Amino acid sequence: MSYELTIEPIGQTIEVEDDQTILDAALRAGIWLPHACCHGLCATCKVQVIDGEVDHGEASTFALMDFERDEGKTLACCARLESDVTIEAEIEEDPDAESIPVRDFPGTVTRIENLTPTIKGVFIETDEPMHFQAGQYVNFFLEGGEYSRAFSLANPPSTGREVELNIRIVPGGRGTTWVHEKLKVGDRVRLSGPYGRFFVRKSAPESLLFMAGGSGLSSPRSMILDLLEAGDTRPMTLVYGQRTRAELYYHDEFLALAAKHPNFSYVPALSDEPADSDWSGFRGFVHDAAKAHFDNDFRGHKAYLCGPPLMIDACITALMQGRLFERDIYMEKFFSAADVQQVRSPLFKKI
Amino acid sequence: MDMQVAKKKLGLKERYAVMTRGLDWTPSYQKMEDIYPCIAYEGIKIHDWDKWEDPFRLTMDAYWKYQAEKERKLYAIIDAFNQNNGHLNVTDARYINTVKLFISGISPLEYVAHRGFAHAGRAFPGPGPRVACLMQSLDEIRHAQTQVHSISNYNKYYNGMHDFHHMHDRVWFLSVPKSFFDDAITAGPFEFMVSIGFSFEYVLTNLLFVPFVSGAAYNGDMGTMTFGFSAQSDEARHMTLGLEVIKFILEQDPANVPIVQRWIDKWTWRGYRVLTLVAMMMDYMLPKRTMSWKEAWEVYFEENGGALFKDLARYGITMPKCAEQIALEKDHLSHQAWSTFYNYAAAANFHTWMPDEDEMAWLSSKYPESFDKQYRPRYEFWREQAAKGNRFYNKTLPMLCQTCQIPLVFTEPGDPTKICYREVDYKAEKYHFCSDHCKEIFEHEPEKYVQAWLPVHQIYQGNCFPEGTDPTAEGFDPLAAVLKYYNFENGRDNLDFDISEDKKNFDEWRGQATKNI
Repeated sequence: MSYELTIEPIGQTIEVEDDQTILDAALRAGIWLPHACCHGLCATCKVQVIDGEVDHGEASTFALMDFERDEGKTLACCARLESDVTIEAEIEEDPDAESIPVRDFPGTVTRIENLTPTIKGVFIETDEPMHFQAGQYVNFFLEGGEYSRAFSLANPPSTGREVELNIRIVPGGRGTTWVHEKLKVGDRVRLSGPYGRFFVRKSAPESLLFMAGGSGLSSPRSMILDLLEAGDTRPMTLVYGQRTRAELYYHDEFLALAAKHPNFSYVPALSDEPADSDWSGFRGFVHDAAKAHFDNDFRGHKAYLCGPPLMIDACITALMQGRLFERDIYMEKFFSAADVQQVRSPLFKKI
Repeated sequence: MDMQVAKKKLGLKERYAVMTRGLDWTPSYQKMEDIYPCIAYEGIKIHDWDKWEDPFRLTMDAYWKYQAEKERKLYAIIDAFNQNNGHLNVTDARYINTVKLFISGISPLEYVAHRGFAHAGRAFPGPGPRVACLMQSLDEIRHAQTQVHSISNYNKYYNGMHDFHHMHDRVWFLSVPKSFFDDAITAGPFEFMVSIGFSFEYVLTNLLFVPFVSGAAYNGDMGTMTFGFSAQSDEARHMTLGLEVIKFILEQDPANVPIVQRWIDKWTWRGYRVLTLVAMMMDYMLPKRTMSWKEAWEVYFEENGGALFKDLARYGITMPKCAEQIALEKDHLSHQAWSTFYNYAAAANFHTWMPDEDEMAWLSSKYPESFDKQYRPRYEFWREQAAKGNRFYNKTLPMLCQTCQIPLVFTEPGDPTKICYREVDYKAEKYHFCSDHCKEIFEHEPEKYVQAWLPVHQIYQGNCFPEGTDPTAEGFDPLAAVLKYYNFENGRDNLDFDISEDKKNFDEWRGQATKNI
């Protein structure tokens, strides 16, 4: 049995499991709520219940007073839902966020392309068109719907009923191996979405910097195609890294875009390309390529990061040392079981 | 008919902005630098005060309502504890010495923190940090009051607490925490925020406040424990303020990074030296231990602090160099401190004792590298001597470190058999230090630290005797005169626990409470 939790002022609705706290459900859904002690003593995570019933759990009577309980306050780290609930939390309202309800989208596989030796482009025609914000992801139900895996949408929202997922085979990974070896054109499949709060802050005046690596190209690609289609004239740069030229998928597409749009710059980087190859672009990691391209000064940008954790980590450090800080850095935050166990400092919230 | 368009409800952030920043104004007939004269001289560059992100959104009206309710609850529990003779439910009377250390060493610091945050708040041109400092300033004076009230019941029954504030300003070892805070509040507003707001409230609070409160919980002291719970929601705000301060300063200008690094290095070490008192409290003074000092340091500093400094590295901040020396000292700190207080038991407002066999076994298991080799033989010898009637009380005065004001009792990093001495010649005077780190702090600001009020020097200069004392009189006893100046009652407030009035009374009262005499 699970309930639905709607979080104001962003208006997003998420599922909360029976024994799950509001805080845990929100963090796992990628919604950051203020919190500190996580066991009902410090009151940092106090939220207002606007509608519905909650159980206050272990909340200390000093951290959550009786009069506050009467006023409908609760501590997100201890509260469990007893009905569908709406809360108001201290989340910054984002003028660029659309609240798009999550739905199921049945569809048919129309094409499967080998983008690189390890990445397949899977094209699915959904029965109904999916409305989403460029950068968001879907859950793709595999092996007849037995389980799902999350993939970012690689197409811009304008492609209508056809969505594109770029799926890298993870050695030993059940889901991606099944996609690579078993999925066929014509198969009926199901997606749910759109999910996530990774999208372009279109109302922000700053230049845009996209940093992508590995199979993390999908969201930035969707974002860039969307912006350019809409005629956005702000300077935007894609710094895009792979190990080798063979893995650098959509390279020609970005070269063409850069040639066509004077406000779009494309900086590819290869970290493990054989020294004797004819590659004339940057050799090294994404963060180093960005540092060199911007002469270590990232001020005046909004940065959007997508890629493997080590790349993200190196990019954040490079950006901050080039004077671009948390408020201007965006990324999709997935919480894995390992993250929860790791000792983390609360210095940063989103990154 | 006109349609009334409902105004959109303000979000929490906007509501808070209206209630805080919205109240600020730009002066028209005074210059900013005249109104905020302390803001530039430390070299910190702030370009945009609006970049300050409020770490919490509590408005003044909500603050009063919430704190008043919290304190009503706290006082109800303190009353119940007192009326029920809760002091007789603590593990044993040795525990009460922890309370004495807290009331005379820590509570007065809460009051100084109140002053410090009021002063820092006044100094900042940005309304965001000003409001945050105002609230923390109020928290600190509330904490001073509620601690005094929580602990005052013990003062009705036990010795050593009757004049804690007077003692705080005079007693040799209490000059360690006192001078630490005096150093902070006499620094500029930014250094104060890094020293107390960040280093103390964020990096070190789990090693100061938490051990006392969990020690109280483990040892049946419901009053102090309840105070701790009631303060925790305030402490959480203080920690988030400390983090925002550091991020804000570091993001404003790259030139701020080396200044902040120096302050973090300095205040981590200064704070750690004050924690010496906590280390010995954890390992020796709590009859029921919570964890060892070494374990606490590993969890709260090495692990949690390590994660913090990993994140700070993105700004170019590195782990303070002193962490290496602290890691070498963690097997020794508490033992060297307790040995010192055992020696100077005649001149402290609490009692000391030798650990019993079970406690020695606990210490051996927690400190397998050091305890049996370096400290157990010493304790066994002292215990033997005490049994023969030779309980040793050191009556000479030790050499103090010019910076941290702790006697030179610590050993060389890596060699626990050799006392560490450092010295500096400055303007034809010689100054002494317990460590390289205290020496470096002095060398960076010698004019500040030459002014230190060092208790031993003051005694030798004749400034620590009651007014009218004639040190040249026949049979003058300097120690007795100093104890009088401290307002210690010799033989009651000091000396060994075994012969103390506290022990005798506690046993008798507990007997009365549990038997039909």
